[in-house]
Amino acid sequence: MNNTILGVSHLKTYFFTRRGVVKAVDGIDFELKRGECLCLVGESGCGKTVTALSILGLIDSPPGRIIDGEVRYNNLDLVKCSPKQLRRIRGKEIAIIFQDAQSALNPVFTIGDQIVEQIRLHLGMKYTEARDKAMTLLKEMGIPSVERAMSYYPHQLSGGMKQRAMIAMSLSCDPQVLIADEPTTAVDVTIKAQILDIFHELKAKRQMSLIFITHDLGVVAEIGDRAVVIYGGKVVEMAPVSKIIGNPKHPYTAGLIDCLPDISKTTDRLASIPGTTPNPIELPQGCPFHPRCHKAMEICSQQQPPEVRISEGHEVSCHLYQ
Amino acid sequence: MTERLQNIARKIGGPLYSNRRLIEYYWQRTQRNKLAVLGLSFIAFLILLALIGPFFTLDPTLVNFEENNLPPVGFATEESVYNIYTDEFTTTEISGTWKHPLGTDSKGRDMLAMIISGARISLQVGLIATGIAITLGTIIGVLSAYLGGWADNILMRFTDVMMTFPFFLLLVLIVFIFGPSLALIVLVIGITGWTGTARLLRSEALSLRTRDFVTAAKALGASDGRVIFGHLIPNVASLIIVIATLSIPGVILAEAALSFIGLGDPTTTSWGIILNSGQQSLDTAWWIAVEPGIMLFLTVLAFNFLGDGLRDAFDPKSNI
Amino acid sequence: MGKSWLRDYIIKRLIYAVIIAWGIVTITFVLVRVGPSSPADKYLANMAASGQDVSQITTAIEARYGVDKPIFEQYADYMVNLFQWDWGWSFSTSMPVIDLIKTHWIYSFQLILLSSLFAAFLGILIGIYSAVKQYTKIDYTATFLSFIGISIPNFWLGVMLILLFSVKLGLFKAYYDTTLPLFSLENLKALVLPVITLGTGMLAGYVRYTRSAMLDNLRKGFVTTARAKGLPERTVIGKHAFRNAILPLFTIIMFDLGSIVFGGAYLTEIVFGIPGLGQISFNAIFADDYPVVVAVTLIGTFLILMINLITDVAYTYLDPRIRYD
Repeated sequence: MNNTILGVSHLKTYFFTRRGVVKAVDGIDFELKRGECLCLVGESGCGKTVTALSILGLIDSPPGRIIDGEVRYNNLDLVKCSPKQLRRIRGKEIAIIFQDAQSALNPVFTIGDQIVEQIRLHLGMKYTEARDKAMTLLKEMGIPSVERAMSYYPHQLSGGMKQRAMIAMSLSCDPQVLIADEPTTAVDVTIKAQILDIFHELKAKRQMSLIFITHDLGVVAEIGDRAVVIYGGKVVEMAPVSKIIGNPKHPYTAGLIDCLPDISKTTDRLASIPGTTPNPIELPQGCPFHPRCHKAMEICSQQQPPEVRISEGHEVSCHLYQ
Repeated sequence: MTERLQNIARKIGGPLYSNRRLIEYYWQRTQRNKLAVLGLSFIAFLILLALIGPFFTLDPTLVNFEENNLPPVGFATEESVYNIYTDEFTTTEISGTWKHPLGTDSKGRDMLAMIISGARISLQVGLIATGIAITLGTIIGVLSAYLGGWADNILMRFTDVMMTFPFFLLLVLIVFIFGPSLALIVLVIGITGWTGTARLLRSEALSLRTRDFVTAAKALGASDGRVIFGHLIPNVASLIIVIATLSIPGVILAEAALSFIGLGDPTTTSWGIILNSGQQSLDTAWWIAVEPGIMLFLTVLAFNFLGDGLRDAFDPKSNI
Repeated sequence: MGKSWLRDYIIKRLIYAVIIAWGIVTITFVLVRVGPSSPADKYLANMAASGQDVSQITTAIEARYGVDKPIFEQYADYMVNLFQWDWGWSFSTSMPVIDLIKTHWIYSFQLILLSSLFAAFLGILIGIYSAVKQYTKIDYTATFLSFIGISIPNFWLGVMLILLFSVKLGLFKAYYDTTLPLFSLENLKALVLPVITLGTGMLAGYVRYTRSAMLDNLRKGFVTTARAKGLPERTVIGKHAFRNAILPLFTIIMFDLGSIVFGGAYLTEIVFGIPGLGQISFNAIFADDYPVVVAVTLIGTFLILMINLITDVAYTYLDPRIRYD
C-alpha cells in the first residue's frame, strides 16, 4: 500500500452548462504505484483528459467543478488543498504534458525561456544555471544543436521536436509523477515510435511513475504496466496489461481488443462496437455501456454495476460477474 | 421587370430571403440578446417618428421670437428683464408648456419639431450613405478577391490610398470647397466610406473562393457573374448586414459632426446644427444642446446594440 | 534572430508611402484648384467692401498664388514649394503657413498624447480585469459602459462636460491659455475636460478590444500549460495570456489612433478652444484660408502613413511568427 504514490478515489467532475450538466468524470478510482506506468484507456470523450486535469486542479472553473472525490498525493488531498500548495505541486511534483504540443507551447516565447521559467520558479536557480539545466534536458531528449534550439520559437520546430521540448519542460524540475495526455496521438508513426522510446527510457533511467492516457491499445500493450479502462466517465475495468489484453472481462474491453485488426487473419469486415459513445449530458441509467453491450441483461439498465474483483489486481464493474 | 427585381433580391438576400426557416433561426438567436432587441425597438420608434412625426407637430422652421427660449415641459427657468425706467431687474419664472413639450430655441422654433426633423435627416443620411458605401465596398471587395492577380493588387493599392486619407478631414475639405449641401455630404460620406467594407469582404470572399461549392459551380459551367452574384454574395450576406448596421452610427455621427462645426446644410435642421446653436445658450437654454445630443447618443447606441447582437447571432461559434 | 527581410520591406513600404502621399497631394491640389472659389476671393471681397482699389492687389495676389500661370506650371510650383517647406501664406493670420503650424502643433500633440495615455492605461487594465472575471457583474457593467462610451458623440460629451462642470458648477475653466507654459498646473487643469472628452471614446474601445483579445487567449492551450507549470495566476494572465493578446490589440489600437484621433481631436479642440492644428484649420475654413486647410490635411495624411508603417514594422518584433516576404 505504501508503494502508492498517487491515489484517486470517487472523483467526480461535472460541467454545468446551459444545456445541462455534463458528467465528464462520474466516480473514478485508481491508484498509481511508484515506478509503474498506468494507462488510462478509452475512446474520445470518455473523461480521460478531464481526469488528468482534475488531478492537478486545472479544470476551468466556470463551468466545471470537482464536486466529489479525493486525489491523495504525499498525505495531501489535492482537491481540498490550498491554491498555494497546489501550485507548489504543479510542475514540480506532478507534471503534465498535453496532446498538441503546438497549442500547448506559448508562441511568443522561446522554448528556452519557457523551460527556464519553470526551473527558476520551482528550483530558484540563477538564470545561467537554469539555462544549463534546460540545455542538458533538451540534449537528453535528443534535440540537436541545443544552444540554438534554446532560442527557437515553437513554430520553428518540427512536430517531433515540439513534443520533445514539451517533455523536457515537464521533466525540468524532476517530478515524481508524469501525466502524459495522448502524447502519441497527434503525431505520425515514426515520431510516435521515437516518443515511445523516450518513455521507455524515462521508465528505465528515472523510474518515473507515469499516467499515460491513450485510446490506442497498441501503445498500452507496449508501454503500460497496468491499465484502467474508462467509459462514460466511469471505470469499467482495471488490470495489469497482460491480463487486460489476454483476458478481458468487461464486454467493452473485449470489444476494444476485437477492433484491433489482426494482420495474420483475413476477414471481410473489420470488427467494431455497434452504436456510438453516449452523450455526456444524457448518460444512460445503470451501466453506461449497456445500450451497446451484446451481453446486456435487464439489471444493466437499472443499476450501477458493482466493482468485482476477479483476481489479484484485476477488477471489473459489470453485472456479469456478480 | 418585377420578376427580374425579385430575382436580384433573392440572389442578394440569398439564404435570408428565400429561406424562411433560416430567417426565423437567426431572428431567434438575435432575440435572446436583450440589448439588441432594445436597440431594434428604438430604431423602429425613430423611423416611425421620422415618418409620421411631422404630421403631428408644429412647423420646425416657424420662427417666433415671442416664445423663444422656452424650457421643456416640467422645467422652469428664470428670466431677468431689466427695466430701464425703474432701474430694476424683474425676474419672472417661465415654465415649459405642452405646446412646446421639448421647449423652444433662441429663435422660438419648437424643439420637438426640430428634433423630429433631425431624425429624418439622420436616418436618411445613415441609410443612403451607408447603402452607397456598402454597395461600393462589396463590389470592390468581392471582385478583387474573385479576380485575384494584378486586378486584386491594383484594387487593394487603391483601397490603401483611400484608407490613408483621414476620413473626416477629407470630408471637411470637400464640403469646404464645394459648399454644404445634404446631397453632397451624403455622397461624399458614401464614396469615402467603402474602404473598410471592401477589406473585410475581400478577406471573406478570398476564403470562400477556395471552397468546394465555388469549384462545383464553375465545373457546372457557371459564368463569373453567376458565381459572384449567385454564390459568393449570398454567402457573405450576413457579414454585409452586420457591417452595414455597425457602419450606420459612424455615418450619422460624421454628418452630425460636420453640421456641428458649421459645415452642415443650412437649409436643414439636422441634430448637429441644433447642437451647434445650443452651444451659445449653454447657460440660459441648456436644453437646446442636451436634446439633440441625447438623440444622437441613443441612436448610435441602438445601432451598436443591434449590430453587436446580429454579429453574435450570425456567428456559428458564439454560444447563444 | 536576423531580420534581413525587414530592411527590404521597410524600403518597399517607404516607396509606397511616397507614392501614396504624392497621390494625395495631387488629389488635394486638384480639389482646391477646381473648386468654385479662389483663395483670394474673400480677401478681395473684404477689401472691395472697404472701398480700396482692388485691381492692383488682385494682380499681386494672383501672382503670389500663381493662378495666372497655366495649371501644370501651378502644379509644378506647388510641388516644388512643398518640398522647400513653403506651404503658402495664410491670409487670415498673416504669416507663412509653415510658421503657423510650427507654433500650434504642440497643443494638438499634448492633447492627443495625454488622452491616449489615459485611455490606453485605464482601458487595458479594465479590459484584462473584465476578461478574467467574465460573467460577473463587473464584466457586465464594464461591457455595458464601454458600449455607452463608444456611442457617445464625443463633441456632445465635450459640450455636456462644459455645461456641467464649467457653467453649472464652475469647476474647470473652459478655455486654454497659451501664454502659460505647456505643462503648467493651470493648463493641465484646463485639459482635464478635453482629455476626458477625447479619451472616453478611445477608452471604451480599448476596454472592448482588450477584453475580446484576452478572452480569446485565456482559452488557449498554453494558458493551461502555464498553470500546469505551477505559475502564479497573475503571471499566467499578465505574462502568458496578455503577451499574446497584445498582438491583435496593438494593430487595432494603432489603427484607431489614426482614424479616431483625426476626427475626435479635431472636434475636441474646437469645442474646448484648444489652439491646436484642428482649431487653426477650422478657423481657416471660415476665413477661406485654403493653404492652411490643405496643409493640415496633408500633415494628417502623412502622419497616418507613418503610423501605419511603424505599426507594421513594430508588429514583426511583437510576433515572432510574422514575416513579410
